[in-house]
Amino acid sequence: MMALRKVSKFYVLMFFGSLLVNGCTSSANSRYFGKTVAPKDNILRYVTGSEPETLDPHISSGQPEARIYMAIYEGLVEYGPKDMQPIPSIAKSWEISSNVDEFVFHLRDNAKWSDGTPITANDFVYSFRRGFAADTLSSSTELGFFIKYAEAFNGGQVFVKKGDTFLLAKDFGGEEQKPSPGIGPDTDFHKFVQSPIRLTLDGDEKKRAKQIDADPKLKAAVAGAEFVEVKAEDIGVEAVDNYTLRVTLRQPAPFFIGLLAHQFFRLVPKQAIDKWGKEWSRKEHIVTCGAFRIKDIRPYDALILERDPNYWDAGNVHLDGIEFYPVEDNATILNLYKGGVIDAFLNHTVLTSWIDEAKKFKDEYMNFPENATAYYSFNVTKPPFNDIKLRKAFAMAVDNNALSDFRKVTKPLYDLTPSGIFPDYDKARAKVSEDLRKERNVSPDVLAKLGKFDAEQARKTLTEAGFPVQKNGDRYSCPTFPTDQVSLMFNTNENNRAIAEFVQAQWRQNLGVTVPLKSQEFKTFLKDRHEVQYIGLAQSLWSGDYMDPYTFLGLHYGYPNNGDTGFNDPKYNKMLDDANAELDPAKRYEMLARAEFYLMEQQPSIPLTINATNWMKKPYVKGMYPNPGTLIPWKFVYIEQDPTKWHKDIENVMIESDPQVEKQLQELTATQKAAK
Amino acid sequence: MLSFIIRRLLIIIPMALLVVTLTWGLVRIAPGNFYSAEKKLPPAVEANIRKKYGLDQPWYTQYGMMMSNIVRGDFGDSLKYQGQSVNEIIWRHLPYSAVIGLLGYLLALALGLTAGTIAALKQNSGFDYGSMSLAMLGLSVPNFVLGPILVLIFSFWFYLLPPARWGGVSSIILPVITLSAIYAAYIARLTRAGMLEVMRSDYIRTARAKGLDEKTVLLRHAIRGGLIPVLSFTGPALAALLAGTVVVEKVFAIPGLGNIFIQAVLNRDEPLILGVVAFLSILIMIFNLIVDIAYGFLDPRIRYE
Repeated sequence: MMALRKVSKFYVLMFFGSLLVNGCTSSANSRYFGKTVAPKDNILRYVTGSEPETLDPHISSGQPEARIYMAIYEGLVEYGPKDMQPIPSIAKSWEISSNVDEFVFHLRDNAKWSDGTPITANDFVYSFRRGFAADTLSSSTELGFFIKYAEAFNGGQVFVKKGDTFLLAKDFGGEEQKPSPGIGPDTDFHKFVQSPIRLTLDGDEKKRAKQIDADPKLKAAVAGAEFVEVKAEDIGVEAVDNYTLRVTLRQPAPFFIGLLAHQFFRLVPKQAIDKWGKEWSRKEHIVTCGAFRIKDIRPYDALILERDPNYWDAGNVHLDGIEFYPVEDNATILNLYKGGVIDAFLNHTVLTSWIDEAKKFKDEYMNFPENATAYYSFNVTKPPFNDIKLRKAFAMAVDNNALSDFRKVTKPLYDLTPSGIFPDYDKARAKVSEDLRKERNVSPDVLAKLGKFDAEQARKTLTEAGFPVQKNGDRYSCPTFPTDQVSLMFNTNENNRAIAEFVQAQWRQNLGVTVPLKSQEFKTFLKDRHEVQYIGLAQSLWSGDYMDPYTFLGLHYGYPNNGDTGFNDPKYNKMLDDANAELDPAKRYEMLARAEFYLMEQQPSIPLTINATNWMKKPYVKGMYPNPGTLIPWKFVYIEQDPTKWHKDIENVMIESDPQVEKQLQELTATQKAAK
Repeated sequence: MLSFIIRRLLIIIPMALLVVTLTWGLVRIAPGNFYSAEKKLPPAVEANIRKKYGLDQPWYTQYGMMMSNIVRGDFGDSLKYQGQSVNEIIWRHLPYSAVIGLLGYLLALALGLTAGTIAALKQNSGFDYGSMSLAMLGLSVPNFVLGPILVLIFSFWFYLLPPARWGGVSSIILPVITLSAIYAAYIARLTRAGMLEVMRSDYIRTARAKGLDEKTVLLRHAIRGGLIPVLSFTGPALAALLAGTVVVEKVFAIPGLGNIFIQAVLNRDEPLILGVVAFLSILIMIFNLIVDIAYGFLDPRIRYE
């Protein structure tokens, strides 16, 4: 018994001891979340999420990789630290043709690779061609398909040559490019790339034969013709001289400059790839061109970067190094943060159960809207949701406001495009909805209610669709609705389940319909959703690839598309095409807003929430902003040793001025007056 | 004895290949691909990927190619982590798991054997009740609960040890304790039961009757017999510990093999899955063999035919 008594005494002591210590530490540090000491070595420690697939920016399209690539690779432009609008990077300035389909970039002449080799326009030509090459197996090529012949080259297609001339796309129902004045010197390549778009056919002989057989006009035209492979040299990218790059598109794309900060358009080193092949991105071979270079790669543990003295703007890089830690478990990330092992971490990381606690730390918790949305897609190809009325009934029966209150870190989403991310587009949307109201002669309150939560109207619509809703006491039921033909599919995850159960409860309460839930492992779920094999509804999340509403509106463009609903409407496609051909930005946004309005009336999806950034950083980390994609241009980031200058009330971080950041930004953008 | 060992070693290879074949079948049945992601790939890009990795070939060709490579010890490159071979990944991450696993194993043995033996010798004493209750607690508290509790106490209340990540001796203390808890508890209970049974057996009574002192009885005679149940448990347990323990590696962000394996399955990274499975199955079979050999030393009644 002696031993037992000793043991219990020890525990009692430890218990009270720990209470005491806990009491002391939390009162001493209550302003900050855990250990908060600015690192003396001027090295930032950041958790990036999952282990990067590769350090080859052409291969991986993921966000964890994008953040790392932003430190070690540069492209023509970079994301602005606060608004993600493009700012000059290796391109110090650019010109845009009046059609917005040709761009000339003036590169700085002092940019260098980490091995000291100068960076020229030829490096960009090489990188673009490599990205689109079929054997690079890039998953992001689609983003660059606006560049002329990029898609045809990537897909291994062929031109059709008859005698001395090539058949043209416009003669066979293809897209017609408006004649462009073009910009820059008129070279032979420029003449070629400015000529009308050539017809391209499938490179595979069998598929091509099928394609030709299906079109009698085409069949007659290709008789005796020669098929010429589309080559890398045909893509609309040209090094006019060492420091001038010209990019020609197949169609006007006003958002194209913003797209160029994406990892797919960052430079890859020809010298290392030629020498080492697919092993070029290993620690011993890698050559980079960003503000930081690789010091050590320890997979699944850390990626250690140091400031690159060869970097053209090295004088404006404030950190001596960055350590990226790949950690996936959210609780572990928060523990690391609280323990002071890391200084900041990636978005969407604070667990729902921790949010109330995290929000108390007003100097650290980042709750800002994101360029990302959550919605439920309908399978519009199968009954019962091929009926638009039914889709509307189910959409109206979901209270988005209640949902985002329940989720704590999101804002309600009412359309396809998140509000609060593109301020000019929000204005255009307001104007269009007012115009439409006048055109349709409805009162403002009717329009305000459109697409919003309205349980009464939802029941009415469901009844009209042939499924009468009955009232039993204070509950509703809809006995004729075929619940066995629908389900709400989501990928297995605690948060997804919580949202699904919430929405399921809303339908049960407001419509009297209980939709079965179906939880699936991620890859299994993706297959069913991509192939539109699900019944009823499927969960969808979309993070914008660039800062233009088209990144959301394009989801339902053409077919197959990334909307995963089976929705395909030529009228909608044309509305988007017309909008993108519009050169006046304000007018274009209005046309896009009209298209969005039209799309939401077809209700291919139920808008749920706008994501929130939901991450934390220590108050001594400055120059790091909760921008809509959590994509951080690292050269602006610095560590403030003086606690009086630490961030206070992070809510104001986007409007507060930081003289150092403002000055740095001003110097960078001074070379490009027209840059937004 | 030697022929027994050779026979068992020879059987390991076909067994491992059988396990690989079954795993390959299971991976193929699972929907989705290593390249499937939130964003759909353009059809031409998807076709290029399928062609490059031979996914456009009939299944038997793919199986044949995979098997002929594996027989030569080449598992190929990871599909997800480009330019890294499966062998390289396994050998790179095994040491992390092995260090944690081995230390956890030794700690569990030390704690379990000591506690179990003392508890058996002082049956129904305070120590017996105390240690066995603690062992029961150790068995019932899963390591994903124990880990965070230890982090709370040692990292946030006392600020003594880092909450996660690999780096230095201080960083492996918590994972090792977390890992060993359940094994120590199990070993303690097995040792206690084994020792209690042995201490009551005839040959112990004979040893005592010969006039041997308690220490000799215990160390020369009792422990050997009492350890047999422990041995059959700890052999495979050591294999499992060395090859990575998913939960502990996740909670403490340790770059070990267990974590890699789970990610490989979620990523549908077929070569990596097959490599880890083959490695694990060989490891488990070897440890089972070692356990079988060790039986002979502990119990003279066991003979190898």
